[in-house]
Amino acid sequence: MTQDRSATRRKPGQRGPSARFLRDTLTAYAYLSPSALLIGVFGIFPLFFTIYVSLFKWRLARGDFAGLDNYVRLLGGNPWYLAATLASVGGIVLAVILFRRRGTRRPLWRALAVVVLAGSLLGLGLSLPSLASQGDKDVFDSLRVTIWYSLCTVPVQLAAGLVLALLLTRRMRGRQAFRVIYLIPYITPTVATAAIFELLFSLRPDSFANQLAGLLGMGPFQWLQESRGIGVLAFGAAPQWAGVVPAYWAGWAQGPSLALASVIIYSWWVFVGYYALIYINGLGAIPRQLYEAAEVDGAGRVRSFFSITIPLLSPTTYFLSLLGVIGTFKAFTQLYVLRSAAASGTVDAVSVSIFFTAFRKSNMGYASAISILLFLTVLGLTVLQRRTSETRVHYGD
Amino acid sequence: MAIRGRASRLGSRTPQPGPRVTVGRVVLSMVLILGAVVCLMPFLYMLSTSLKTTGETITRVSPIPVDPRFWPRVPQWINFATAWSDASFSLYFRNSVITAALIVIGVIASSSLAAYAFAKIRFAGSRFLFALLLATLIIPDSVYLIPNFILITRLGWYDTLAGLTVPFMASAFYIFLLRQFFSQVPNELLESARMDGAGHTRAFFSILLPLSSAPLFTVAFLAFVGSWNSLQWPLVATRTAHWRPITVGLTTFISEAGPQNELRMAGAVLSVVPVVFVYFLAQKRFTEAIARSGIKG
Repeated sequence: MTQDRSATRRKPGQRGPSARFLRDTLTAYAYLSPSALLIGVFGIFPLFFTIYVSLFKWRLARGDFAGLDNYVRLLGGNPWYLAATLASVGGIVLAVILFRRRGTRRPLWRALAVVVLAGSLLGLGLSLPSLASQGDKDVFDSLRVTIWYSLCTVPVQLAAGLVLALLLTRRMRGRQAFRVIYLIPYITPTVATAAIFELLFSLRPDSFANQLAGLLGMGPFQWLQESRGIGVLAFGAAPQWAGVVPAYWAGWAQGPSLALASVIIYSWWVFVGYYALIYINGLGAIPRQLYEAAEVDGAGRVRSFFSITIPLLSPTTYFLSLLGVIGTFKAFTQLYVLRSAAASGTVDAVSVSIFFTAFRKSNMGYASAISILLFLTVLGLTVLQRRTSETRVHYGD
Repeated sequence: MAIRGRASRLGSRTPQPGPRVTVGRVVLSMVLILGAVVCLMPFLYMLSTSLKTTGETITRVSPIPVDPRFWPRVPQWINFATAWSDASFSLYFRNSVITAALIVIGVIASSSLAAYAFAKIRFAGSRFLFALLLATLIIPDSVYLIPNFILITRLGWYDTLAGLTVPFMASAFYIFLLRQFFSQVPNELLESARMDGAGHTRAFFSILLPLSSAPLFTVAFLAFVGSWNSLQWPLVATRTAHWRPITVGLTTFISEAGPQNELRMAGAVLSVVPVVFVYFLAQKRFTEAIARSGIKG
C-alpha cells in the first residue's frame, strides 16, 4: 500500500504536486491539528522544557542558572568514569549487533564479537561502581530497583502469559469465563488491589502470606517491610568475596529486597492475564494450515511449537516486551502504595524517586536531571531491544 | 483405570472435534481453576476483611476460605457506610466520573481525526509526522511530570478540572491504534463517497466512523480505565478535594485509616465494585477490546 501511495502522489509527466494533493495536505493538517496542538504542548515541548529546568537551581520557582551542577551532583564530577561507562555500554551494543548480523557464522567474526563483549562487560564492571560511588547513591540505588523490577517481571509475565494463552486456546467448556476472570486483576484500580496486597503481605505472623509460607515450612517474613535482599535471606549474610568484588556489585548480588519481591509478585498477579489475552490474539493469527503441514512432515507438538508458534508470535512478544519494559520504568502507583518506611528505599524506583525529589523535597531542577537520565536509559534499552530482535522478529509476511 | 487413562491421552493427540473427558482435559481444567482461584482470592480476602471488626482483622484470620476464621462472625455492613462518609467517596466518585468522561470524549475526537489523516489521506510530511508521533511513545511519564506541572501552574490550571483533563485529551498510542484499524477499511468504500463530490469530512463521518464502533470502543475503554486508575498526575495537579479523583482519595484514606484494616478494605471494595460491575455487563466486548489493544501493523 505504501508503494501504491508514492506512485499516485505524482502522476507521470506532471510537474510538482497536484492540486488534489495540496488540498489533501491542508485537510490532513486540519484533522491533525487538535492532536498536534495537545501532543506538542504536553508531550513534546515538556521534553525540552525538562532539559531547560535541569540547568537551573529550581525550587518552587526558577532560581539561579546552575549550568551542569545538577548533572554533576547526579553523576559525580569525574567525566572519565562517565565516558568509560558509556563506552562499555556502547561496546555491548556493538557486540550484540555483531552477534546478530546475518552471515557472521565465520569463527573470526564470532571471536571478535566475544572479545568485544568480554571487554565491554569487564569495562562496565569496573567503571560503573566508580561512577556510582562518585554520583548520587540514592539515584543509583533507585535505578537498581527499577532494573530489578523490570528483569523480574517482564520475562516471567511473557512466559507465564504464553503458557496460559496456550491453555486458554484449547477447546473446552467455560473458556470465556476463564478469560474474563484472568483479566479482573488488570482492570480493577491499582490503588485498591495494591491496598489488598499490602494487607496480604503484612508482617504479622498470621498474615495471609505468612500463613501460606508457614504451610510450606518457611517464615514468618517481614515481606513489604523487609529491606534485606532475597539473596541474603536465602543464603545468609554477604559472602567473604565481598571484599574482592566492588561493593557496588556485592549490592547487586543481594538480589531485590523481599519488599520489592512482594511488589514483583503483585505485578505478576496483575499482568499475567493481560499478557495471556494479547498472546491469544497473536495465536489466533497463526494459520492452522502451517500446523497441519508440519504434522504431515512428521513434526511433533514440541517441534511445531518451537518452529511455528514461537517464531510467528515474535511480533507479539516484541510488542509485549517493549510495553513491559517501558511500563516498568514508568510504574508508579503500585510502588507508591506499597512502599513503607521500613523497606528503607528498596522499593523506590526511579519514578518514585523523581516524584519525591520534585514534589516533597521541592527540588525540581535536580529531579529534572534525574528524569533526563531515566529518559536516556529507556531510550538506550529500546534501541538495544530493537537491535537484538531485528533479525529474530518474524512479521509473517 | 491406568490403561484407560493412557489410551485417552493417546487419543487426545489426534485432533478430535468436540470436547471429550480425558486425563489431559482434567489436568487442564485443574490448572485453569487454580489460576482463577489465584486471581480471585485477593478479592475474596478484601471482601471478608471489609466485613470484620477491627479486632477480628487481627485475631481471626486465615488464608483458606473454607476455614470459618476466614469470615467474620457477624458481617459488619456498617463498615461500608463509615468508609463512604469518612472518605467523602461520593465527591471523589463524581470527580473521577467527570474527569474520565471528558478525557474519553477528547481522546475519541482528537485521535479518530488524526488516525484518519494518517490512514486515509496522502499528504506532505505524513511519514515524518507519524514517526515523530511513535517516537513520543517511549518518553516515560516521569519526564512529563515536572514540566507539565510548571505549565499548568502558569496557565492557572492548578487544582482545576482543566489541569486534570486537557493534557490527556490526545494520545499518540490511541492514534496509532486507530490508524491500524482505519488502514484495514477498504479505500474503495471511502472513494465512492468522495466521488459523489463529498470531501474527506463526509467519508470520515458517514462511512468510516459507523464501521469502526469496535475499535472506537476499545480506545474509549482504555482511555476510561487509564483515567480512572491514574494516581501520579492527580496527586501532583490537585491540592484540595474539589476535583480530586477516587484514586487520590483512596490513597489518602488508606494511609490515614491507621490500624482499621476493615475500613481500608471497605474503601477498596467501594472503588472496585463499580469497575467490576461495568466489566461484567459487557465482558465479551471488554476482553475483545483489550485483546485488540495488542494489535500492531
